[in-house]
Amino acid sequence: MFAADMSLPALFATSEPQTRTGGSPRPMDEARFEAFYRRTAGGLWSYLFRLTGNETAADDLLQKTFFRFLRANPALASEEHMRRWIFRTATNLALDYFRETKRERAKIAEAISDAVSLFETRDTLRHDMMKIFGELKPRERALLWLAHVEEADHEDIGEALGVKAKSVKVLLFRARKRLGELLTKKGLAP
Amino acid sequence: MNCAHEPNVVHAAAEDRWTESLRAHVADCADCAAAAAAAPWMSRFARISDREHILPDPSIVWLKAQLLKGSFDVARVSRPITIAQLIAYSIVAGGWAAILMWKWKAIQAWIGNFSPSGIVHNAAGAQTLSLSFFGIVFVLASMTVMLALHTILAED
Repeated sequence: MFAADMSLPALFATSEPQTRTGGSPRPMDEARFEAFYRRTAGGLWSYLFRLTGNETAADDLLQKTFFRFLRANPALASEEHMRRWIFRTATNLALDYFRETKRERAKIAEAISDAVSLFETRDTLRHDMMKIFGELKPRERALLWLAHVEEADHEDIGEALGVKAKSVKVLLFRARKRLGELLTKKGLAP
Repeated sequence: MNCAHEPNVVHAAAEDRWTESLRAHVADCADCAAAAAAAPWMSRFARISDREHILPDPSIVWLKAQLLKGSFDVARVSRPITIAQLIAYSIVAGGWAAILMWKWKAIQAWIGNFSPSGIVHNAAGAQTLSLSFFGIVFVLASMTVMLALHTILAED
């Protein structure tokens, strides 16, 4: 459904399950980590970049997420669990980033503007899309990306954002409405 | 719970492959209508290529994580020692404060013994500090020195 650079399996897909029925989980060695990183980092970076609008912040958050992942004994039961853990941690870190830089909103707006300019040089469509997405609140961006790109269900989105699954339904509805309003405003509504 | 049709609606809207039943459902379901409105745009937005961006190298991330993990482990392991150290400092400081308050007048008198008039007074058989007091002072002084040495060596 999604493009090649977004072609990582859905966030909570059950591809390549490594669930074991007994014994202690296999510890994460460098080779296993590298393989997992190569499968996950691209999609995760895209997500973080869309949330922050800042390449440097996306890099930092990506690394922080993987540092935490490795520190937290990643010998989890399956690829599915690891992906879920990674995206949940990244979402928390990104929302913390927004909380920490709340007083520096101007800087963030500037960063998004820079990203917009970067895209502008590449493609006008991209420029418009980044600009529209940047007008949404960080949580709305996370909701929309997790629901539409990562195809996560409401429970998993709720877990990632620290809200109940029932609330996700309402929040997602509002985020979609808001996106719809922005698209209508820009004359891009379907 | 979200509507059971939502994933199908999202896919149908993103790929513009609608079935009659899904269209009919979207007309009745506000959640799915909102999902259908957002899906094509989100699908296009997800296709924006980020390939120009070079991701941090996994081996560097691994190495940094090991270094950070090492310092985190050191901090975690040394936490009980630090707590024990703080307790020991508190006990020694409390001991010194207690003994000084308890025997302050006797200490003043004992110090006064070293003045010329004090020597004369002492010769006349004035009361002085007991041997047990000096014993306690010796123990406290030893503990202070040991703690100081432990702190210095631990830092090294």
